[in-house]
Amino acid sequence: MSRNNDSSAGSTNTFYIVAVAAAVVVSAVLAPVAYDYAQSAQSEGTVSVITVSGVITGSKVDTLSEDLREARINDSIKSVVLKVDSGGGAVAPSERLYLEVLRTAKEIPVVASVQGVSASGAYYGILPANETFMLSSGQVGSVGVIGAGGTAPVPDRIIRTGPDKAQPTTEQRRQQVESLKRQFVNRVVEHRGENITLSREEIANAKTYLGPRAAENGLIDQLGTLSVAIDHAAEMAGMEDYDIARKEPPRGGLIFFATTVDGQKMIYKQQTSNDAMAIPVTQPLAINEIPYHDPGMGVDANASA
Amino acid sequence: MPMQVRELTAPAAVFALIVTVVLIGALVIPFVSGGTTPEVTNLAAGQTNTDSVQITPNTEEGNIAVDGPGPGESKTVLIDKAHSNRLSDEKLSTLTNALVKSGHTVQILSREQARGPAWNESLRSADAVVIANPTQPYKSGQLAGLEKFADAGGRVTLLADPAAISVGGGLLGLSIQESSAQYTGLASSFGFAAQSGYLYNMHEYQNNFKSIYATTPAESRNPLSQGIDRVVLREAVAISTASAEPALNTVDRTVREPTRREATYTVAATSGNVAIVGDTDFMMPTNVYVADNEVLLGNLATFLVSGNKRPGAPATPDSNGAQNAGTSTGGAIPTAPTAPTAPRPGDGPSPSPVPESIIAPSE
Repeated sequence: MSRNNDSSAGSTNTFYIVAVAAAVVVSAVLAPVAYDYAQSAQSEGTVSVITVSGVITGSKVDTLSEDLREARINDSIKSVVLKVDSGGGAVAPSERLYLEVLRTAKEIPVVASVQGVSASGAYYGILPANETFMLSSGQVGSVGVIGAGGTAPVPDRIIRTGPDKAQPTTEQRRQQVESLKRQFVNRVVEHRGENITLSREEIANAKTYLGPRAAENGLIDQLGTLSVAIDHAAEMAGMEDYDIARKEPPRGGLIFFATTVDGQKMIYKQQTSNDAMAIPVTQPLAINEIPYHDPGMGVDANASA
Repeated sequence: MPMQVRELTAPAAVFALIVTVVLIGALVIPFVSGGTTPEVTNLAAGQTNTDSVQITPNTEEGNIAVDGPGPGESKTVLIDKAHSNRLSDEKLSTLTNALVKSGHTVQILSREQARGPAWNESLRSADAVVIANPTQPYKSGQLAGLEKFADAGGRVTLLADPAAISVGGGLLGLSIQESSAQYTGLASSFGFAAQSGYLYNMHEYQNNFKSIYATTPAESRNPLSQGIDRVVLREAVAISTASAEPALNTVDRTVREPTRREATYTVAATSGNVAIVGDTDFMMPTNVYVADNEVLLGNLATFLVSGNKRPGAPATPDSNGAQNAGTSTGGAIPTAPTAPTAPRPGDGPSPSPVPESIIAPSE
């Protein structure tokens, strides 16, 4: 009998231990979910942080447009922060970015936070933001357009249907670049309006300004880091507790290639991101720097030539 | 068997009911709450001030008129290409066309024809000389000959451009080259200096800040200014001069890079028989009819052919030149007996070199 009792007490104990262990495991899994739920129940909405970096190209703006559209239609996203580090790109994608940001800013607060550079086309893109923050070491400006003055002559054996087909004149290019510049300057004046102390001609000089000067002349609103910008965006949407959703651009893939040096295998990896890509100045560009413009290199080449 | 079927019927019915309710709900909710497509406004059209971004095309009208010195009188204009002069055939074509059309002769001076005493002999057969952007310096003998040429009534026109920056591809990658004109000795011997850098204007310009306007000074009697309201210079240099008479000055708020000082800069001037213009782009066929550029080109051509050079000047080759002639290889001096120019008194006896005559290329 007592042996029976003992064995039944032992199995009861085992059940207790299993039950406690199972309870610990289940609650360990469920607790974070419950915690997150409780936390997001307190959160009044989400600030979407969208990264704009590298050369502004058509495909990059496709992705950014999607992100901005999502921010507009998703009711839980109450405001947007653009995290910018770009020296610009082609003019048409820059204008598309500008229009997408403008469309978003008409619906929810948009705050721009310049990390390093936001010049030329990238500055064009953030013009409609309700508030612009940058660091004192950052640069903004370079309001202007560059483009090739003419095209390479078309060989005689190519048949064209008109004198301007595939061969605009220098004067036509000059007029186009001037028109694009006026559009850009017009929009800077329109959006920076009362804040800006620079004249149209000073803006069109296309200088870049460091943070303190840009805050003074009105190209941006104030100095501040990304977290300040996020907090400001939340505040503009009337949120005290908020979630942050980050939208990063797709990373470029890695290319590996291998070679054998002195019997040892060397493996190189290279990022295929097009950020460092040099774009030729064939179409009008709103860009801060031409990547291959290196006078020092020219001197070397001349000296040895 | 029937027992098992009956046991399964009830759960299957519950399953089907739940699925049906969820699917109907998913179908109905969007109809109740409305779609997610936001309203789209045409921002691109609304944000564009079409008038302010529209560029008015340049009006190109007028004719290049060269007022000849007199009916039947033909002058010879020498164009210096001996000093690796930076002046494209395209730009040259408008000037040569205008001169040839009014019955004058244009000759291109090659390197051989500028060597040693051949330089003075080439000048002797000419009435006017055009020197544009030489990239090789002039020797003292050549400068002396040119001064004598101008003193004797020969017309000299200097054309200056800012330093040209070009990008070339080479074995070592891209290279930036800057070539500036070797003008200092030449221009200063006539009392001019071309300043460094280019002129620009951010306020009043034609489609580009480097395409500046220049106007004539009030009550100017300069032969280059006649009939000009304003010209467009695509890339101009400022001319400094102490004594010359300005023919064209830049409009207000024109700035010179790299000093960035606003001033009224002189871009064309004359001093006796010498004229200087701080631009060559106005001669481009695409630019020559813009604004009053065609009048400026006509005035320049008229200036070249309206001198009264003493026959046979520069008469005596300078001593350096004579010595050079003695030591240099004889083959370098062309001694063809016939000159293509109309013979004039005083020209005949001298063994004149034969600058290559050109047929004006079409514009």
